[in-house]
Amino acid sequence: MNEIATLARPYAVAVFKRAKETNSSKKWSKNLSFLAAVLNDNAIFGMIDDPKVGRARLLTLLLDICADQLDQEGSNLLKLLIENNRLNLIPFIVELFETYKAEDEGFIDIDVTTAYAFTKESKQHFNEVLEKNFGKKVNMKVVVDSSLIGGVLVRAGDQVIDGSIRGQLQQLAQRL
Amino acid sequence: MQLNPSEISDLIKKKIENFDLSTQVHTEGTVVSVTDGIVRIHGLSQAMQGEMLEFPDHTFGMALNLERDSVGAVILGAYQHISEGDTVRCTGKILEVPVGEALLGRVVDALGNPIDGKGPINCVETSPIEKIAPGVIARQSVDQPVQLGLKSIDSMIPVGRGQRELIIGDRQTGKTAIAVDAIINQKGTGIKCIYVAIGQKRSSVANVVRKLEEHDALAHTIIVVASASESAALQFIAPYTGCTMGEFFRDQGEDALIIYDDLTKQAWAYRQVSLLLRRPPGREAYPGDVFYLHSRLLERASRINAKEVEKLTNGRVTGKTGSLTALPIIETQGGDVSAFVPTNVISITDGQIFLESNLFNSGIRPAVNAGLSVSRVGGAAQTKIIKKLGGGTRLDLAQYRELAAFAQFASDLDESTRKQIERGQRVTELMKQKQYSPMSVAQMGVSLFAANEGFLDNIEVNKVLDFEAALLSYFKSEHTELMDSINATGDFNNEIGSSIRSGIETFVKTHSW
Repeated sequence: MNEIATLARPYAVAVFKRAKETNSSKKWSKNLSFLAAVLNDNAIFGMIDDPKVGRARLLTLLLDICADQLDQEGSNLLKLLIENNRLNLIPFIVELFETYKAEDEGFIDIDVTTAYAFTKESKQHFNEVLEKNFGKKVNMKVVVDSSLIGGVLVRAGDQVIDGSIRGQLQQLAQRL
Repeated sequence: MQLNPSEISDLIKKKIENFDLSTQVHTEGTVVSVTDGIVRIHGLSQAMQGEMLEFPDHTFGMALNLERDSVGAVILGAYQHISEGDTVRCTGKILEVPVGEALLGRVVDALGNPIDGKGPINCVETSPIEKIAPGVIARQSVDQPVQLGLKSIDSMIPVGRGQRELIIGDRQTGKTAIAVDAIINQKGTGIKCIYVAIGQKRSSVANVVRKLEEHDALAHTIIVVASASESAALQFIAPYTGCTMGEFFRDQGEDALIIYDDLTKQAWAYRQVSLLLRRPPGREAYPGDVFYLHSRLLERASRINAKEVEKLTNGRVTGKTGSLTALPIIETQGGDVSAFVPTNVISITDGQIFLESNLFNSGIRPAVNAGLSVSRVGGAAQTKIIKKLGGGTRLDLAQYRELAAFAQFASDLDESTRKQIERGQRVTELMKQKQYSPMSVAQMGVSLFAANEGFLDNIEVNKVLDFEAALLSYFKSEHTELMDSINATGDFNNEIGSSIRSGIETFVKTHSW
C-alpha cells in the first residue's frame, strides 16, 4: 500500500500542477472521479491485467466509454497510464489529488465522532471552534457513536483530539 | 508482603482524585504489516526518530525508519497479538528507563523491569536511553585507577576511571571471568557496577548472578539482561539501557563501571533489525551505521569535571568528579581481530585486553597476551607503586617472548640470555591468578617487588605461585600496617621499598613453601 502511494504521487502532483496552471481543478476533479468510477466496475477492472486484452484494445475501449466525459488532457493521462501499465493507480491518484486540492484551497477534512447528535447551533459553533483551531476552512463529517459515552472525538488526518468520556476512562485505567 | 485492602483503595482514590481530565491530542496511525517484530505503519506523519510508539495492550515499539508514506518500527517484546489494522499512537517521548540507587542489587530486563522476583523497584526518576555524550568542556582527563584486582591487567594494562577498555578474545578464553572479577573487586570502593548481558543464555546470566551473590558483590551491581530468547530489538537497546543507568551515577559525582557482555551479539541483533527494516546491507551484511552504533554508546563512558557535576545536580553535589568506565567485550571468531566489528570497537576504545585461547589452554589464566594488549590512557591513572614495579614486568615479558622463540633453535645460550629466559618463565608463572580471588594493591606490590628484585630466580617455576601465596599470607599476618598503608595511599618510596625487601628476606630465610 505504501509503495503504491509512492508510485501514485508523481502522477497526482503532475495533474495537480497542470490543473493549477490551466485553472481547471474542478474539471480535473470530475475527470478523475469519473475514471475512478469506471475502473471501479468489476468487468473493467478485470480487464486491466488480462493478458488477452492488449493495451491498444484497452485504450480504445476506455476512450469509448469515457468519450463524452473526458477532455483532451484527461484522455492523455489515460493513455499515459495505460502505456506505463499504471492503470491500477487511479484511485490513489484521485485521493492524493483531492488532498492537494483541499490543502491548496485551505480546506481540511475532519471526521467528528460524537456521543449525541449535534443541534444546528452547536454544530455551527463547533465548526467555528475547529476552524479557529486548525486555521483552515473545515469540511466536517459527523458520525454519532453512543459507545463514546459522552464528548467528542475529532480526527483530522492522523491527528486525533480525544475529548470523549471513553478516552478519559481508558486513560484512567492505564494510570491505575 | 501483606496487602492491606484499605491502603489499596486509598491509593486508588488518591490517583482518581489527582487524575487530570485533560483532552488528549495525539497522532494516530494504522498497522499495515507485521513481520518478525517489525511493523510498518501508515500515518504517524509526526513521528520522531527513536520515538516510543504505543500499540494496543500496553505494548511499546520504537520508530526506527521514517519514510515518506510509512513508518518502520520495532516492537519491544512480544508482537504476536498485534495485527494489521491496529491503531498506533505517538507518545512524544524517546524511550526511557528507570534510573537510581534502587536498581542496585537487582536484575532487570532491557526496559528496566525487574525479572529477579524481588518485587517492584521504587525508582523515582526515568531517563532516556539515547543521550548525547558529554562535550569537551564538561570532561576531565582520566587520572584515577579502577583496580580490576588482576595482577596481569593492573600491572601491565591499567584501566582508569572514565576509560573504555575492550576485552577481546575467542569463545572460552575467560572474558566474562575478567569482568566478574572486576565487579567483585569493586566491593567497598564505592564504584557502582552495571553488568549488561546481551544475547546470552539465561543459565549463564544466572551463574554470574549467583557468583556475585556468593562474593557479596551483588549489592553494588545492577544486572541488565536481554537474553538470547528475547527479541532482537531488546538485545539492541540493552547496552543503552545499562549506559543510562550508569550515567545516573556519573552525573551524581560518583564512579561507575559498566560491562557490555558482549557487543558482538548486539551488533548481530542490530543487523537483524536493520535487514528486516530493509536498510541496505554493507560489509558482512551489517548496516552502514554499525560503527555509530558502538561509538555513540562508548563515547558516553567518560569522566566529567566537578563543575559539570555541580550543574547536573543543581548544586547539590560540589567538588566531586563523576566517571563511567566501560569494559566492552567482543568475541572474535578464530582469533580474527580484523573482522568488521572487532576492528571498529578496537578503534573506538582506549585500549584492549587481548585474550588468547592457546595461552588459556596452556594454563596461563587470565590468558592475557601482554604483547598485543595495550591501555592508551590508563598509565596516567596507575597507583605509584604499581606503576613503578609493573614497568619491569612488562619489559621482562617482552624480552622473554623475543628470546623464547629464538632460544628454541640455539642449544647453548650465554649466561645473560639464560637468565632472561628463566626470569621470563617465572614472571609468566607469577601472572597466573585464580578466578574470584582479586588482589589488593599492596598484595600486587609485594608480588611484583619480589619478581623485580630477583627473589623468584632461585625458586622452581612450578613453585612460584605457592611461594607467592605463602609470602602474601606472611605479609598479611606480620606486616599488616605496611600493607594497610600501601592500600590506603598507593605510594612507593625507598622506605617502603626497603621494608618490603627486608620482609621478603626474612620470609625466605625462615619459611618454607
